Amino acid sequence: MTTGRLGGLCLLAVLAPAAGRAQAVQNATLRRAQQAYDNLEYRQALSLGQAALRERLAGAERGRAYEVVGFSYAALDSILKAVDAFKQMVLIDPERQLDPNRVSPKAFSAFDVALRQVLLVRQLRIDSTSFVAGQGAVPIRFMVTQPARVVTRAIGGGGGGPANFLVDSSAWNGQVNLSWSPRLPNGDPVPAGTYTVVVEARLGQNTFSASQQIRVTHGRVDTLPHLTSLPGYQYLPETEIPPQTWRPLGLAFLYTGGALIGTLGLESGGLGASSKRELGVVGGAALVTGFVMTLRTPAPRPAEGNILYNRLLTEQIARRNVDIAKENITRRQQVQLTVGPPLKTGAPR
Amino acid sequence: MNRGGGMPVAMVLLGLVGWPARAGAQHLMVGPQAVLVDYREVSSGLRYSGSGFGGVATGRHGKLSAAASVVRLTLDPTDQSTAGAGFKATQLDAWVGYDVASYASVEVGIIRRTADPEFAAQSLGALRVGARSTYDLGPGATVSFRANYLVAPKFSGGGRASFSIDLGLGLDVRLAGRLHGVVDYAFERVNRKTNPGGTGEIDAPIQQTLARLGLGIRF
Repeated sequence: MTTGRLGGLCLLAVLAPAAGRAQAVQNATLRRAQQAYDNLEYRQALSLGQAALRERLAGAERGRAYEVVGFSYAALDSILKAVDAFKQMVLIDPERQLDPNRVSPKAFSAFDVALRQVLLVRQLRIDSTSFVAGQGAVPIRFMVTQPARVVTRAIGGGGGGPANFLVDSSAWNGQVNLSWSPRLPNGDPVPAGTYTVVVEARLGQNTFSASQQIRVTHGRVDTLPHLTSLPGYQYLPETEIPPQTWRPLGLAFLYTGGALIGTLGLESGGLGASSKRELGVVGGAALVTGFVMTLRTPAPRPAEGNILYNRLLTEQIARRNVDIAKENITRRQQVQLTVGPPLKTGAPR
Repeated sequence: MNRGGGMPVAMVLLGLVGWPARAGAQHLMVGPQAVLVDYREVSSGLRYSGSGFGGVATGRHGKLSAAASVVRLTLDPTDQSTAGAGFKATQLDAWVGYDVASYASVEVGIIRRTADPEFAAQSLGALRVGARSTYDLGPGATVSFRANYLVAPKFSGGGRASFSIDLGLGLDVRLAGRLHGVVDYAFERVNRKTNPGGTGEIDAPIQQTLARLGLGIRF
């Protein structure tokens, strides 16, 4: 393929995007380099592009200048220099992608070689998805341009401070497909919130990282409320007032009678009948007390049956609440998780 | 009077005094008492009647209970008595009980009664062994009945007793707050026998009924 035909292909490749990009280019030298390239004047485009690189350029314009230089070198068959220019370009814009159907094979080849010579994490993609926690995963895709140790983490989360979840740590090269099961070590789903998935590649002293934010939301969980009572079962009073009886007076009679019988039975015949004054006083007091206590409302006494019933009811409620707690844990762990792009905040309408 | 009963008296009193500090009483009650007494000795002609005053202290800790009463009695001959003069007496009663059921306890204790003048009546010292039954009549009211056998009684005039018993009826009523009314009836019968001049034993029984009426502050 001749240089002229190659230049024509390059022109086709970059013409449409260049037209749009030329309008956005602020730097005059870069704009002239772009125009020179569009006019197939590659040497002039090359010299103007290099001149633009010596000027103060914003990041995007610097990347664009390297692109013009790279394409110009490729058109002029200086492949190694084209590779160098493309390396600088992808370091500035790692996501830059060339369409092999629309650029010259030389330029695409140089671009492909450049990609293999720098460590990049490109095309990090996390698809929106929805699944039940524990039964699905978040797909994470990216490309690593060189064999490297790649550590993938998810950082952030809801309340309780930032969390750091290790998704994967392996040696990768090329296209990588990972899946992250967003669960805590205890099986619970990760808290709802915004997470940043960070992919960090390391090769010797070279490191490169890419990140993307995602938002994890929880579906509604219908947990069961704890019980404070069982339907149809009520706590019973643990004391009861016994019915009024003649028992106090009867006891007073019994004890006083015992003392009287004992006194009469043990009196010495030789000493004559003893005085009953003392027994009359004390026995009378006992009988009066017994009569008064008979008339009074008896003191409440523990209702053993009710106490036992309440204890059984309490144990039954506690046992049921333990089951409910286990059920709720399972329900919370099986919450519906939805993963999508983060909410845009503060954007003008 | 035989002084041999001093050691048991001291032991019981020591236990009584030391018990609350040792175990931390669940309750302790002290109070004054008025006393009515009837005393007979030897024959139906030797009869005395009188009154007196004293104090009572009771305590309980768990199944262990204790009580002590000291009264000073003034006895005068009754109308039917052949005695020429009365006398005074001091009586100490003490019990330590242990509950064997909710309504029954076993108890040991002492009784010591001294007469003044010394030979106006028999002074008595003995150990008590017996049981007591206590029932609640209602809120704050309990009634009790006790039967104590008086072991190895000693008399100031000598002699022995083959059978000696003390029966009692007690009532404790909470009157208001910590104020309790405490009344107690005691019937004492001692079959004393003497052998004056070695001519053979003759009966010289002793019989006393005593009513204590008191108030107590319960702590």
